[in-house]
Amino acid sequence: MVVSWWTDRHVFLLAVIAYGLSAVYSLFLWRKGFRKHDFVNYGVLLAGMILQTKAMFMRGLSLKECPVHNLYEAMTFVDWTIVAAYLVIGLWPRVRYLGAFAAPGIFAIGVFALMPGLDPTHTGQPPFAANDLVSLHAALTLLSYGAFGLSSVAGVMYLSQEHDLKFHKLRAVFAVMPPIDRLEKITSRLLWAGFLLLTAGLALIPFLLKNRPEFHAASDPKVIWSGLVWFLYLALLVLHGRFAQSGRKFAWGAVASFAFVVLTFWGVNLLSPSHRF
Amino acid sequence: MPLVIIGLSHHSSPVTVRERFAFAETALPGALQELRAAGLAREAVILSTCNRVEIYAVSDLPEGQAIADLRQFLLDYHKVREPLDGEIYARGGRQGLEHLFKVACGLDSMVLGETEILGQLKKAYETALRHRHTGGVLNKAFQKAFHVAKQVRTETNIQRGSVSVGSVAVELAERLFSSLSEHQVMVIGAGETSEKTARALLSRGAHSILVSNRSHERAVELARELDGRAVSFDDWAAEFPRIDILISSTSAPHCILDRVKLEPLMKARKNRPLLLIDIAVPRDIDPSVNFLDNVYLYNIDDLQAIAGDYLRQRREEIARCEAIIAEKAGAMMPSASSAHVGAGAPLSGMGKANA
Repeated sequence: MVVSWWTDRHVFLLAVIAYGLSAVYSLFLWRKGFRKHDFVNYGVLLAGMILQTKAMFMRGLSLKECPVHNLYEAMTFVDWTIVAAYLVIGLWPRVRYLGAFAAPGIFAIGVFALMPGLDPTHTGQPPFAANDLVSLHAALTLLSYGAFGLSSVAGVMYLSQEHDLKFHKLRAVFAVMPPIDRLEKITSRLLWAGFLLLTAGLALIPFLLKNRPEFHAASDPKVIWSGLVWFLYLALLVLHGRFAQSGRKFAWGAVASFAFVVLTFWGVNLLSPSHRF
Repeated sequence: MPLVIIGLSHHSSPVTVRERFAFAETALPGALQELRAAGLAREAVILSTCNRVEIYAVSDLPEGQAIADLRQFLLDYHKVREPLDGEIYARGGRQGLEHLFKVACGLDSMVLGETEILGQLKKAYETALRHRHTGGVLNKAFQKAFHVAKQVRTETNIQRGSVSVGSVAVELAERLFSSLSEHQVMVIGAGETSEKTARALLSRGAHSILVSNRSHERAVELARELDGRAVSFDDWAAEFPRIDILISSTSAPHCILDRVKLEPLMKARKNRPLLLIDIAVPRDIDPSVNFLDNVYLYNIDDLQAIAGDYLRQRREEIARCEAIIAEKAGAMMPSASSAHVGAGAPLSGMGKANA
């Protein structure tokens, strides 16, 4: 795809600028101790999300399918999922500051997506021919990463609040933050949502490989990696649900698991013949 | 016709004096009737709380005379012979109106910004209104006072935060738990502060209270008052798996709960968050338990530090509150002429008000 003046990337750039403003404003809110309900951050993230939706819509229209074919598109999809999920959860005032914790990550993913080289021209010869099933597989797995991303943000918020309560920081009492048991519930529910989406996305693999004997799923690094991620989150949820692994350890688990996903996502895609963009 | 106020409060007198002037609730209509029948006031409201006794009156008498007569009425009614010049204060005109507004806003309260006084003031006014002891002046003044109190509460932070140990404990519990109704509280040591803290938690919906005390009779007594259940002092640990908030205030000379004892108890509780409020001196709970996951320990100093910080924030709001009060009083009573008769000050020279 030839990048001409005022493309969907420019609209996405504006969205990233909005996310950047939100990240800076979040720093200001953090310095102030989150003492009052704040709608500005929610509004800025909403503006960014509208711009990003526009950008993704433009890209989707030009491709005539769900825009999930390269790293740029994958990262924007994950970013969009995190913001969209936050905007729904943030309707509840006590959780609105989740946006302040999410904004730096959303901005960082946006900046990463805009890096040169991640958005090559579509050749029309992807490893798998584009069809509805491929789009559904990609959309489900990327949505799951979005849910995991927001769960890690809730985990960070939990760890921050837990630290302030443990060490008797006045901010723990003065801040307009949700109780930590609610943060744990939010983290857990987002993890469950992400896990179910990932399971559904991975369950489509056998159908994608039908009539494609040249691809061996068992030796594909991306498939192995996805299985590992699936087991990682399954273990986290089982430990939490069955073995009372709650609180700080659970929050760290959510944060560390998503850090693993983010830090290895690019590399594993480069190694995978079926996912090389 | 001037509004005059005469009375005593925690600012001017100790409880040993104030208690001699307290009006029983049932005696208020009679006292108001007596006051008016004696021709001392055309309209009157009597406010009697644990921290203040005040008569708000509108009199046909000259203001100085009205105040002197009301003071004598207060002394005679309670059969007090000492003049108590240093304890009884009076305010007239605009200062009287501003005083009423400050009382309504909790600015004159022992706990700055507290809201209980507004309810007490409303009740005192309603009693006087019901027995037809109020008229145009007091009705207008009290309605305005309630309105100003609402405005101050909305526009300033004078009532923000918790300034007592009990309410800070509740606030901390609400930082840990979404709803206190699902969480059980245990009180070890039936002291006054732990009782108040338990009551504060109950008032915010805590599920139920378990009480354990060295004297089991006292535990049973407190449990009955709190609608809870008494637990033998030797068995309190057995109840631990069910509780999420522990208030400890025993007089034990050593810690009754340490890390070694708590670790297995936390496992039995499946590592649910646990709030420990240690208000005992010497402390009942070893500080090292705070290093355990999901355990949050606060001692009396921690709670008082939070309460103190809230109080500091409230004090910073006083100027804003007073500006609102001065504006509203000024609008109602434009004349600046007013008087403030403090402890022992002469009663002459009172200005006239336009109310």
